[in-house]
Amino acid sequence: MTLSVEGVAFSYSRSRAVLHDVNLTVRRGEFVGLLGPNGSGKSTLTKLLARVNRLRTGSISFEDRQLGRLRMSEHAKVVAYVPQSGEPTFQLSVRESVLLGRTPYFGMRPRRADWEVVDAAIEHMGLTDMASRSVGDLSGGQAQRVLVARAVAQEPEILLLDEPTSALDLRYQVETLRHVRDLTRGRNLVSLIAIHDLNLAARFCDKVAILQGGRIVAFGRPNEVYDRELLEEVYGLEVDLFERDGAVQVHPVIEARPGTAPHGHAPLPASALT
Amino acid sequence: MTNVLTRALPAVPRRGRPSRSLIIGAGLVVSLLSVALSVVVGTAGIGLGDVFHTIAIHLFGVPSTDSFRRTEVIVTELRLPRALLAFLAGAALSVSGVVMQGLLRNPLVSPYTLGLSPAASFGAALAIMLSNKAGNTPSSLVTILSALGFSLVVSLIVLGVASMKRMKAVTLLLVGMAFFQLFEALTSATQFFADENTLAEIVHWTFGSVNDATWHQVLVVSVLLAVTLPYLFARAKALNAIAFAGDDAAASLGVNVSRTRLVLIVVVVVLTAVVVSFTGVIGFVGLVGPHIARLVVGSDHRYLLPFGAIAGGLLILYADVVGRAVLSPVVIPVGIVVALIGAPLFINLVLSKGTLAQS
Repeated sequence: MTLSVEGVAFSYSRSRAVLHDVNLTVRRGEFVGLLGPNGSGKSTLTKLLARVNRLRTGSISFEDRQLGRLRMSEHAKVVAYVPQSGEPTFQLSVRESVLLGRTPYFGMRPRRADWEVVDAAIEHMGLTDMASRSVGDLSGGQAQRVLVARAVAQEPEILLLDEPTSALDLRYQVETLRHVRDLTRGRNLVSLIAIHDLNLAARFCDKVAILQGGRIVAFGRPNEVYDRELLEEVYGLEVDLFERDGAVQVHPVIEARPGTAPHGHAPLPASALT
Repeated sequence: MTNVLTRALPAVPRRGRPSRSLIIGAGLVVSLLSVALSVVVGTAGIGLGDVFHTIAIHLFGVPSTDSFRRTEVIVTELRLPRALLAFLAGAALSVSGVVMQGLLRNPLVSPYTLGLSPAASFGAALAIMLSNKAGNTPSSLVTILSALGFSLVVSLIVLGVASMKRMKAVTLLLVGMAFFQLFEALTSATQFFADENTLAEIVHWTFGSVNDATWHQVLVVSVLLAVTLPYLFARAKALNAIAFAGDDAAASLGVNVSRTRLVLIVVVVVLTAVVVSFTGVIGFVGLVGPHIARLVVGSDHRYLLPFGAIAGGLLILYADVVGRAVLSPVVIPVGIVVALIGAPLFINLVLSKGTLAQS
């Protein structure tokens, strides 16, 4: 019962290869973080899995089904994709936005069953009170929850998130990741998230894959994978590693400005991250 | 940053308001009555009863009289095709605007933004100029084909260039704007080099008018809408996904984004080119029609497409009525009236919610 990525390579043009021979296996119920510096290929891999980009080399299969061979509407019932929340161009209510997740399921008009799934997804994401509000009037965190609710309404088996927390403040980052982790476990999904924050990934993801130059250079549990030398090589930056409440944490070593304490900021309270 | 235009638009009708299907049904009834009313306006002193009598003569074989023949001719040969062409042209241009705004996720675009209307405009102007130079009267078919040809060529170039850049919405928009400027300049050039008679013809045509409406034109636009509107309604769900979720998420929702965009743009090109070749340039309706419709039925394209057609149709229909009534017997071209009505209306739409301060 796994998502299996084998020998995947991808390039946007002949001169610009983005992924090389990527291999990855993710089991149901696992939440995997895709880490790496900008341009390392984590978003491209996410978009290949979501079929936003067309797979030309390698194979992506889920439970013995080649995902690339499914019809697009069938693929959309298996894989849901959550992009980064942005300013909506046109106003749409929360309920109508979440209904978009039912696109692969209905014809011209949604059926009663579709609305029931939509309302359940809205409730699951704690959005019931704002179901009739316009998404444009919500906070960044709430809008991101709407996108996750849309993916939930899609009733997928694989959930993909492409840097969904990049534009959110710390509280909403934590909230979004907590929702995804709970969904993954509660619904026994395969979830992958392209994310920059090593510490949040270590806290919420079961496993992480570190990408460098389009290749996966390490894959496993954060405590096993986070290695000072590896991270310094991948990110080109000196880092410190330490452990907090059982989770490994990464700290960039930044030269303190004159007159300030070397560790002038307080760490997050552990309660905020569980 | 908050988008000024879209902040002024409501999400969906609030509870307690009539259902959107009911609003669309009411809009259709209002449209039929408006067409009948617009036939009445003019110097000939025709009443609403005369309109229905004429329709009864032609549809149900009710006998006519010699004294009624003149009224009958005015209604059937002048007023009714004019009213119908005005409504159908407005519907086609507004629907084109709805589709373009959704596809490009930009409330400020219309068929003009892709350079389609300016290209069609240049094609028609060129046909008029060349026909006059050859000593012929330009036929409507040649003018249509020339308008269609230029807008198709432009759309193919735009799509070709955009596909090289993976067809991002912003690329389409920028390339379209370049073509807008290019064909505006070329149309000006045809006016600059045209002789006096041709210049008058081209300028009159560029105003946008339904003065010379014929049943043949009404039939062509009717058939075109009868074919394209059901198709567009069938693609409303895909258009929703592209407009509200974006290209990437729409693809993950099972929509073939590139193919949908290509086919819908071809439909819009054909609609725009044919209408522009009949009526000349009536620009504002493709921008304002969708916004008026969005204000009434919300942004869901399943409702926005039909009501956008109604809103655009009524806008041109009443603009033509105003153009005939204000300085009667002088008829102000509908393109001028639409811009005069549409611009303040559009500014009002933007400002009425007091949202500028939020942007």
